[in-house]
This record gives sequence, structure tokens and C-alpha cells, in this order.
Amino acid sequence: MKVAMIGWEYPPFKVGGLGTHCYGLTRSLADKNVSIDFYMPKTKHSSSSDKDNLVIKEVGETEIFPYDRPEDKKLAGQFFESVYRYNDLLVQKVNGKYDLIHCHDWLTMKAGVALKEKMGIPLVLTVHSTEYDRSGWLYPNDWFINIEKEGMEKADKIIAVSHFTKRVIVEKYGINPDKITVVHNAVYPIGESEKKNIVLFLGRLTIQKGPEFFLKAAKKVLEHEDTRFVVAGIGDMLPRLISQAIDLGISNRVIFTGKLTEEEVKHIYQISSVYVMPSVSEPFGITALEAISAGTPTIVSKTAGVSEAFQNCLRVDFWDTDEMANKIISLLRYEPLHKTLAEQGNREINIFTWDRVADNTLDVYRGIT
Amino acid sequence: MPSVCFYFEVHQPMRLNRFSVFNIGKNDESLSTYFDSKLNQKIFEKVAKKCYLPTNRLLLDLINEFNGKFRISFSLTGTFVEYCERFMPEVLDSFKDLFKTGAVDLIEETYYHSLSSLYDELDEFEEQVKMHHQMIKRIFNYEPKVFRNTEAIYDNRIAKKIEELGYKGIITEGSEKVLGWRSPNFLYKPVNANLKVLMRNYKLSDDVGFRFSVRDWPGFPLTADKYAYWMSHCEGDVINLFIDYETFGEHQWTETGIFDFIKHLPRAVLKHKHLDFVTVSDVVDKYNIMGEIDVPWAISWADEDRDVSTWLGNDMQIACFNELRDIERKVKKQDDEDLLHAWRLLQTSDHLYYVSTKGFEDGNVHAYFSPYDAPYEGFINYMNILQDLKQKVM
Repeated sequence: MKVAMIGWEYPPFKVGGLGTHCYGLTRSLADKNVSIDFYMPKTKHSSSSDKDNLVIKEVGETEIFPYDRPEDKKLAGQFFESVYRYNDLLVQKVNGKYDLIHCHDWLTMKAGVALKEKMGIPLVLTVHSTEYDRSGWLYPNDWFINIEKEGMEKADKIIAVSHFTKRVIVEKYGINPDKITVVHNAVYPIGESEKKNIVLFLGRLTIQKGPEFFLKAAKKVLEHEDTRFVVAGIGDMLPRLISQAIDLGISNRVIFTGKLTEEEVKHIYQISSVYVMPSVSEPFGITALEAISAGTPTIVSKTAGVSEAFQNCLRVDFWDTDEMANKIISLLRYEPLHKTLAEQGNREINIFTWDRVADNTLDVYRGIT
Repeated sequence: MPSVCFYFEVHQPMRLNRFSVFNIGKNDESLSTYFDSKLNQKIFEKVAKKCYLPTNRLLLDLINEFNGKFRISFSLTGTFVEYCERFMPEVLDSFKDLFKTGAVDLIEETYYHSLSSLYDELDEFEEQVKMHHQMIKRIFNYEPKVFRNTEAIYDNRIAKKIEELGYKGIITEGSEKVLGWRSPNFLYKPVNANLKVLMRNYKLSDDVGFRFSVRDWPGFPLTADKYAYWMSHCEGDVINLFIDYETFGEHQWTETGIFDFIKHLPRAVLKHKHLDFVTVSDVVDKYNIMGEIDVPWAISWADEDRDVSTWLGNDMQIACFNELRDIERKVKKQDDEDLLHAWRLLQTSDHLYYVSTKGFEDGNVHAYFSPYDAPYEGFINYMNILQDLKQKVM
């Protein structure tokens, strides 16, 4: 079987779950004797593959981060233009004998639909997030929604990263649930190391990820417990969050790391005692699996996709910062809780392999080829 | 000819309020904030309507219809009786009516359905058994002769204590770990005490308790005739069928046909001339010991493991158990009845049951009974309350 897969990012260059997913998926599919040409925009860092039947094909150039939400009109113009240019280039460049096209999220949907029509082969679409998620359900942008809707309608099969996301696709985009398969994400385990007294937030600093709730909970924790809070990542909310920490009077206990390298990310997961993912909207949340695989007990938002799939974590409503603080303090104070969550989490994480994701994805492929 | 010994466990725990770390040390006087009386009342009234009242009425009719030949036994925990007296005295009255028929026996246990039998010293355990004894005496003017520990937890040490306290019999699980090739359908004697041990026939008990409505079970659908037929082919003196009372109408809903099953059971059993019904006291009077059992490590009838790992299977459970046990002396020194009562209500085994992290099969049963979304939630809440109590007695 030969697949033309169209993505936007691939390690070492990645900013979100999409890149992580594409990496794990393509490598495990290649191990199952599926040939894949993986198309992505050319970036400063070039990506490559050490597998014969997995070829990374870079098309055109871009400096656009797919998860940025451009507020400036001029920037927004460049942003949309760049996405269009990439999609147009793809339609010209993707040639050859393929059994199907598999694309990921709105960034690649226009090309996916055009190629399906041009080449007359089936289209699979994986939805990692929708416009509703990225906007935190506040003022979603119709321009994105229309692209997403068209892609979903034209796709022969859709893979959703959670039942939560499947529901959004059915209810908000009016798609037939029968053509949607849920495949939960996976993780390459990071491994444990010695813990320090650190409570971690790691993710894009955007409204979707709920970093302001993390800081509110931090304030409540610090009234009862001595610990340090780390906010790792970059995003449009960074200046606001720094002011918030100062206003709350906790800036001496909160560290903003800025952008971390892949090695630094692993290290911070390993030394943190608690990981908190207070996302307002989270289709899956691979970072939770990463933290757990580093032996770090994790508190996740109840509505996150990972929350429906993974048993051994703590759950909170993202807005309930009292309960978030209660759970953070309990994890810091009660060693048996921390230990049991770490142990049970580590056992459960073994089920979340890319091999399983590849198997489930292959099942979808086989249903249409 | 085997006798059929039906025995039902009737228990409700005092479930806890949501209690966050921020509540610890905040509320100086009121211990009542530990317990969620609204939720507790709601659940009790629901179960009373679905199970206790209709099942008691049905059993009373059956006892009358068969002139006392249909005989059964009950254990009522102290917390259950407190619920009755506080919210629905008519439930307790219906148990009194059953007892008055003379075809119903009552079983002793710890008042709080606690794990006090696993403490290093057994004096707290003894006090709770005596509290239960006094309660049964007060309400039914009766003194039970047979003892059943919380969820049938049993070992040599407990057996010895129960002998000392003057009981004739004790109930536990008919576990293969103890019996080996031997049948649970006989009475046994503890290796170290002079007592008759009734061994639960877990296969036939669980056919009703767990499998009754399982459609892919080969025995489905279970009719009274089929069940009586199975029992008529059993070897031994007594078939001990010990079942959670809420099986009727609550775990197995009315729609499953569980009430019809019970309604037809006495006639179906008595059709077999060599079968009869007995109470637990009848059993110890009527039958002799067949062999000895040696149980150095505690067993129980809980989960697949049939040991105490249901309550003490992970570090969180052990931590809570130890916290609570270790403040015994300090609590008793305060000479405060409300405080002592609260400490003991917290010993009810259900609180630790909710903190179990056992795997899928058993975990599902745990989740069904738990007021919490996850064992971790149960731990945080329970531990926070224990910390508050600890501060109160320091």
C-alpha cells in the first residue's frame, strides 16, 4: 500500500500534537510495510527519515506556525496567503501512484480535496483540533470553519483523536458519525528521573490551553504549600501571563521558561512533581501522556480527550481553580497518592503505543481501498 | 440431605462530604461536616423503596405462606440501623415483623462494618462487636449466636476472639485457598478455636448476586426451578448462600425478574423432598464439624482475590488505614462521644473500598458502588478528613 500523507510539521520542527502524531504514525506504518511519502512545507530545519519506505518531501517554504491566531490584519493576510500557497504547490507536486491521500487538519485540507478529485483516489482526514478548540470556543472564525467543513464533507473517512472531537465534528460540522473513527494518540515514553519540588504547565500560551487558570491555582497553592511553578512554552498570552503573576504577587515563585528544546522538554517533565493541563478545549492532549511517561502525576481538564482515554490521572474542570489547587496540594503532600498515580500511570501508558495507532489507522485505510 | 441457608447482608455506609485541603483545621466544632447527610438520605430512601421495603414484604409473605418452613438470616449493621431510625423507621419495623415470625435469625458483626479486626490489638474490635450486640438486644430483644465479620474477613486470630466472646459459629468465604479439595457444604472448625465455621458457597451465591442478569452466562436465564435443581444435586450438609441484600431490586433491577425468582424459590426448593431451609443458628445446632481449617492470613469474600487487598491493596489505602488506627488512643482520651462516633464512622470499610485501584474486572464493581469518579478522588477526600480529625485530637 502506498500513501501520500500531507502534514504541516515533522520533528525536529514541531509545535503541536499534529507533528508528534505524524512522526509516530508514519514510522509505525512504515514498520508495517506501508510506503509513505510525507509532504510538508520546507522550513529552516530540514526533516528526514532513516526508513526506506518513508520519504519526507518538502514543498515550498513557510514560516507560519499553524496554531498562531493572527490578530493583526496584515499578518493575517500573510498567514492565509501562505497556507493557500502551500496547498496550491501540493496540488502540483503530489504525483505518482498512490492508493490514498491522508491529510491532517485544516492546513492541508484544500490540497487533500483537490488531489482526491484530480487523482481519483480516496481521502482520509485526521482531525487533531477544530477551529472551535483553537478559539477556546470564543469567536471561532468562519474562514477556518468553512475550510474544515468542506474537507470533512469530501473526506471518505475521518479519524478523530477522541470521542470528544468526534462529537464536535458531528454536532458542529454536521458530519455523518458512521464515517468517523476514533483513534486515541500515543507516546514514546520519556522515562523517569529524580523529582524536584516543581509544578509544571507546558504548552502553547494561548487561550485554548488555559494557562491563566494555572496561575490562579498557583496563587491558592502558595498560600498553603511552598513550591515552584514553571510555565514552559511561548504564545500570544505570554505578556499577559507575566503581568498576571506579578498582580497575584507570586512572580518570585513562577518561572517562565520561554521556548524549550526537545531535550529541555524531556528534562522538565522528568524533574516536575506535578503536571497540570488546564485546557479550555483539548481534543486529545499528548503532553499529558508525555508527562505521565516521565513518571509525573498529571491533572487534566475533564473535557480533554486524554481524560476519556486514560484512567490513572486526576481530573478537574479547567475553571475550578479551588479544586485544581486542592489536587496539586494533595499530590505534593500525600506521598502515597503521588506514588500510586506514578506507578499505575506508568503501567497504563504501555497501552498507548504508536504501533496501536498505526494498526487502527490501517484498519481505516483497508476499509476504503 | 443438604439444607439451604440463605443469609443477607444489609449495610449502608455514611458517605463523606467533599472536603478539600482548604477545609483542614477550618471548622473547629462540627464533625457533621464530614458526612454528606443529604446524599446519604437520598441514597438510603432510594434503596429502601427499591429494595428493603419490597423485599421484606415479599419475604414476610413467603414465610407466612410456607408456615415458617422458609427460613432466612440477616445481618444489619449499626450504620444501617441509624439510617432507619433517622430517616425511615418503617424499614426497621418491617425487619421487626420478619423477626417476629420466628423463621428469621440475626447475625452479629461490628457495629460500624469496620476493619478493626485487622488492628494489632483487638480491643476496639471487641468494643464494636459489643455495641452491635447491645443494639440488636435493644431493638429485637435477641442475642445472636453466629458472627460474621465485615465482608467475611476471617483468620485464626479473629476466630479465637469470637470464641472468647461466646459465639457458637462464624461465617466466612468458602475459599479454595483454605478448603483445597474440600467442599464448602460442611461445617469446619478453626485449627485454634472451638467454633463452627460456615463456609459460603460462592459459586451458587454469585449465580444470584452477580450473574443473575448476565445474558452470555450459560445459566441465563436463571429460574427458581433450575436453581433448586442445581442445589438438589449438591453433596454435603448445608449450602450457604450469602448475598448482599441490595441484590434484590437495586443491583438486579425489578425488570430482571429477580423478585419473581425469589417468589418462586421456596416452592421450587421444597419440591425436592431432601432439601429444607435453615437459619444460621439452625445450622450450628443441627450439623457437626467435618474437618479443620487453618487460616493464618486473612481471607474475605471480596473481589476475585478473596483476601483483604480490596481495602489494603495499595499505598493510599494503607496510609489511610494507618492514620485512622494510629489516633485511637488520642481519640479515646478526649472523652467526647461525638468525636468517638465520628472516628468510628470513618472506620467503615467502604471508605477504603472506594480507594481501591484494582484492575478492570473488579474495578468495574468498585466503580459501580463508589460515590467518587476515581480512587484518587476518594483518597484525597478521605485523607483530608483524616488530617482534620487528627488536628482536632492533637
